[in-house]
Amino acid sequence: MVKITINGKTTEVERGTTILNAARDLGIEIPTLCDHPELTPYGGCRMCLVEVEGIKTLQPSCTLPAGNDMVIHTDTQKVHDARKFILSMIFSERNHFCPSCQVSGGDCELQNSAYDEGMTHWPIMPNWQPYPVDASHPFIILEHNRCILCRQCVRACGELVGNFTLAFEERGADSNLIADLGLPLGESSCISCGTCVQVCPTGSLIDRWSAFQGKETELDKTKTICLGCSIGCGIDILTRDNRLVRIEGDWDAEINGGVICEVGRFHPMIEERERLLTPMVSVNGKLKAATWDDAISAAAQKITNSKGKLSGVASTRLSMEALNKFKEVCDAFDAESISTTEDHSAISAVFDLAQSSGTAFESKIDEIKNADCYLMIGEDTTKDHQVLSFFAKRQIPVGAKLIQISDNSTGFDHFANESLTIDKNSQSKFIEAIENLVAEKSSDIDKIAKSFKLDLSSLENVVEMMSSAKKVAIIFGSRTNYDNAAAVLDSIISLKNQLNGKLVTTKGNINSLGASTIGINYTENVVGSELTIVALGDEKLSQNFSKKFDKTPFSIIFSSYISPLTADADIVFPVQNWLEQGGHFINADGHIFEAKAALEAPEAVFSSEESLSKLADALEVKKQKSWRELVKETPAPVTIS
Amino acid sequence: MAKPTVASNWLAGCAGCHMSLLDIDERIVKLVELVDLRATPITDFKVPDEKGVTVGILEGGINNSHNEHVAKQMRARSKILVALGDCAVFGGIPAMRNFFTLEESLKRAYVDTPSTDESGKIPSSPELAKPTLVRAVHEVVKVDVFVPGCPPDADIIFYVLAELAQGRMPKLENNNLMWN
Amino acid sequence: MKNKRSIIKSTFPAEQRIVLKRAGIIDPDSIEEYIVHDGYFALGKVLTEMKPDKVIFILKESNLRGRGGAGFPTGTKWGFVAGTKADKKYVICNADESEPGTYKDRLILEGDPHSIIEAMVIAGYAVGADEGYIYVRGEYKLVQTRLLNAIKQAKEMGFLGENIFNSGYKFDLHIHAGAGAYICGEETALIESIEGKRGEPRPRPPYPTTNGLWDKPTLVNNVETLANVAPIIRNGAEWFKSFGTPSSAGTKVFNIMGNVNSTGSIEVPMGITLRDVISIYAKGLKDGAVLKLAQTGGSSGSIIPADLQDVPMDYNSFANAGVSMGSGALLICSEKTCVVDLAKVLLNFFRFESCGKCNPCRIGNQRAYQILLRISEGLGSMKDLDDLQDISKWLYEMSNCGLGQTAGSPLKDILNHFRAEVEAHIVKKECSAGVCSMSGISPTSN
Repeated sequence: MVKITINGKTTEVERGTTILNAARDLGIEIPTLCDHPELTPYGGCRMCLVEVEGIKTLQPSCTLPAGNDMVIHTDTQKVHDARKFILSMIFSERNHFCPSCQVSGGDCELQNSAYDEGMTHWPIMPNWQPYPVDASHPFIILEHNRCILCRQCVRACGELVGNFTLAFEERGADSNLIADLGLPLGESSCISCGTCVQVCPTGSLIDRWSAFQGKETELDKTKTICLGCSIGCGIDILTRDNRLVRIEGDWDAEINGGVICEVGRFHPMIEERERLLTPMVSVNGKLKAATWDDAISAAAQKITNSKGKLSGVASTRLSMEALNKFKEVCDAFDAESISTTEDHSAISAVFDLAQSSGTAFESKIDEIKNADCYLMIGEDTTKDHQVLSFFAKRQIPVGAKLIQISDNSTGFDHFANESLTIDKNSQSKFIEAIENLVAEKSSDIDKIAKSFKLDLSSLENVVEMMSSAKKVAIIFGSRTNYDNAAAVLDSIISLKNQLNGKLVTTKGNINSLGASTIGINYTENVVGSELTIVALGDEKLSQNFSKKFDKTPFSIIFSSYISPLTADADIVFPVQNWLEQGGHFINADGHIFEAKAALEAPEAVFSSEESLSKLADALEVKKQKSWRELVKETPAPVTIS
Repeated sequence: MAKPTVASNWLAGCAGCHMSLLDIDERIVKLVELVDLRATPITDFKVPDEKGVTVGILEGGINNSHNEHVAKQMRARSKILVALGDCAVFGGIPAMRNFFTLEESLKRAYVDTPSTDESGKIPSSPELAKPTLVRAVHEVVKVDVFVPGCPPDADIIFYVLAELAQGRMPKLENNNLMWN
Repeated sequence: MKNKRSIIKSTFPAEQRIVLKRAGIIDPDSIEEYIVHDGYFALGKVLTEMKPDKVIFILKESNLRGRGGAGFPTGTKWGFVAGTKADKKYVICNADESEPGTYKDRLILEGDPHSIIEAMVIAGYAVGADEGYIYVRGEYKLVQTRLLNAIKQAKEMGFLGENIFNSGYKFDLHIHAGAGAYICGEETALIESIEGKRGEPRPRPPYPTTNGLWDKPTLVNNVETLANVAPIIRNGAEWFKSFGTPSSAGTKVFNIMGNVNSTGSIEVPMGITLRDVISIYAKGLKDGAVLKLAQTGGSSGSIIPADLQDVPMDYNSFANAGVSMGSGALLICSEKTCVVDLAKVLLNFFRFESCGKCNPCRIGNQRAYQILLRISEGLGSMKDLDDLQDISKWLYEMSNCGLGQTAGSPLKDILNHFRAEVEAHIVKKECSAGVCSMSGISPTSN
């Protein structure tokens, strides 16, 4: 511990703590422009410079470690003059026109810093050299005139996301932010995660959708989780006048630590489907608007008459409450089958194994964040469950190795140390072979390489990387539709045990694991002999899956949006979408989350849980076990907490 | 003691800052109790007294040689010079013309406008002021008080004038400075 | 190359060749000639007769100070690296010589490449490193060729690689070429460059002696500093101290340029005065002109007005006079040099070479250059002098590295000693040296 005095206040901090953080502990804010708590300190903007007794020149508080008995002053005339100088330099470098900028008036850290120093004008005028505006990206606009060259975006793109798209070209006064080697952002390797936009302190990187829709102080913030995939990243939903303005990553969330992907941040902004606003009943082959009472009685009647000859299909985007209610209804009427909307073989294999083995075999996502060897099998986390790919990619500069086993090309082709193309039906055999090689139970590496059509040196490299790694992380998922998924999973778990590694399977939607733990899994037979009830929520079903319902004689659909499925239905109920309802969800690694509603739904549109409750009440279905009790009873691939 | 005298003028601006001044509404009565308003573009006298005034106010930036002349004259005749509004403080909207050459701007204004036929010509009468780079007032003459805003809030303008009227330099900070 | 031996034709009176002893005398491509001229003798002595801390002791006793410009005691620096416990350490030779007017390292590397190889192995042994890099500026193609050849020869003869002199000690040496960035002469930017990143200086602390290349303890020394190591080992610390002054032992290579009759290089004992350099070696100013000012140490060096030309040129005497000696470049100027033009040229260099990481240097140098450009066109104002003063002050206070910190020095010195001349450019639109164009046309450059 070292003792440090700042502005007369003394405290003790751990050795290595920077002066900036020591000051924060004391409640003293030192202004910065290039610093961010989640990024390594850069020391470029020089706004944080303070007086340190005994040292001749001003010192950067963001990088200087507190030394024992250091005495520091952050509020002297010299420090304020220094800050004004930096600001005057920045204002003269590019074109900082506050009047037309959407972060002006409170959301711009540059402007706020200038106001804090009482600046009323630019002491040194700019050159009036125009800088370009890059509007090539579908979500992000890069306004170079407003850039202060703080490099927070570059560091975020590298350290937090691992994509390394953003960088700087040239040096000195010609320094400039570029994507890749100078491509327009929209044509670059950018994966649209938007982390750069979230960290940018000025209006230089902005997103098209939320620009000019309100300053932070005018927006309402709801802390909740993203329901875009099974990871369940913590997010902040920003709304105004019951309108979605922006979604941001929650820096304090444990699972993702602030990063989110394009699916979570931007896809909700471009939702184009039309909402269902009223129940509808088919009359003479045409759907007509109906009251809730009429539609519920019609549905109740049909269900009662089809007892034993109906099946239910539930979206794994529904909350635990909704899923449980749905199951109660289906069970009460002897459903022929209850299925999820996830027909991927890998997901089924994971849940089947959980049931049959009775023990958990997966790890928590936190445990795979600092691995030094990542093995990706049957999954492309650069497309789905993207935040998992961030955790892996950002470890590469610190020496982590990446191996992928896939039956075709994935987004990891450029990042992986070794990309092995193995036909999906041979993957389980191949993984067994690798395990034997690592355990040194086999020395036929030549033969193995030949039989799987691999370069000998690649295979040797793979074995070497796995054997010498201290922390192996295996990610297995559902991008590949295996014929023998169970066998692949078995071989993976055996390999994991051999390597003493950690396994995380990506599963499917947000409540994929949740549905399974109350007994709802995918069944081949989704359609009932007389009736199919589909609790779709706001999910967008693939065309292939939707086709399965062509055969059903009668369908009752609970859905937020109009689709070909609802157009062909017999009774349709409108339900709230994910922004409008709360509920509990169990993510891929067994955390139970409670989501919060951020918007109010249109009138007379209820949550899936409420709508199904109305149906259950009309059918006088008795309450069974609570979902929490069911979760406790059911084996799961990962421990649920 | 005689009341402080005030004069104002406008240069390359839109007059909006003077309109914002008028938004002090009935407080103008209080103001003229404190000061002697000598010359403004919106009153009878337009040119500041030769013997000088206490406070000179300039709206708008410097866009041509005539603006330079007016600014220099106001500076010479004022003890304290106030730059009122963004255009005077840094150049404002008219300064966007600085990203283009003078020729491009003049051509766009007089020849390429949609409503001009082929006879469009850039005026070149020797009586016209020579256009220059658009500049803030303080790039040409010394400015004592900067009042940013587009336009600055009427309350701020009143505060600035009231302070100057009572012999104090206005201090623009915190809520008085943040324009939103 | 026609005549490898003719780089340095003759020694001037009172010159004392230590680092340039063999340059121009031996064939730089012949390791045999190097050995005949006492080559690798010091290395043999070190590896067979001395423990590492004995070597450091000798270096400390010798008072050798860094010749790259900073003048830091070499033995002390070696001691820091030796004293840091680590599983891996590195030695780096900073051959990125980019200070305008300085080419002393090039003379040593082109004329006597093995002297640096030998020094680096000795340094590695002393501090506990087994691997080294010579970072050569990209433009020095001949240096790179000669060094690669010398390394190959040294390896073949067993002076590099495993078990050197049967001592069990091993040392590997690599060449890393720069690519035209002055900032990569700054030791942490140099290390970043070797690591494959942008050449931007790191925050210090921590220093390279504890966290350097790949975060391991790293010793970084200038070429001329290293060229003194083997002679000191061979002849002893007392011998080295017999040259120079109490605060600055040994010799210094000076590169003379400017409005003088004879430009070129000399190696003389520390402590010589500027007056003597000009009269003896530079053979006086051209056309009998009078000394107006000199700049020592390259672009960021101090501007010495004529009344300081009798201060001995050693680290302490210069520091006491408030000026810095720097790398050894000596720019001698007569009345023909305009101070505004000089400042403008220097600031142009800095703004071009600034890495761009920190605001005061990236923007400050640019602004200062533009102000000086306008002044040279007769468009300056008195406010410009205030702005220049501010910029040079904050450059020193706030920059992230030595480039920014010293970029304002020549400007500060000029405003201190020659303010009247600068004001005349602004007020009277006059350039007394007749250099500035004073066209009245606004410069459009950025």
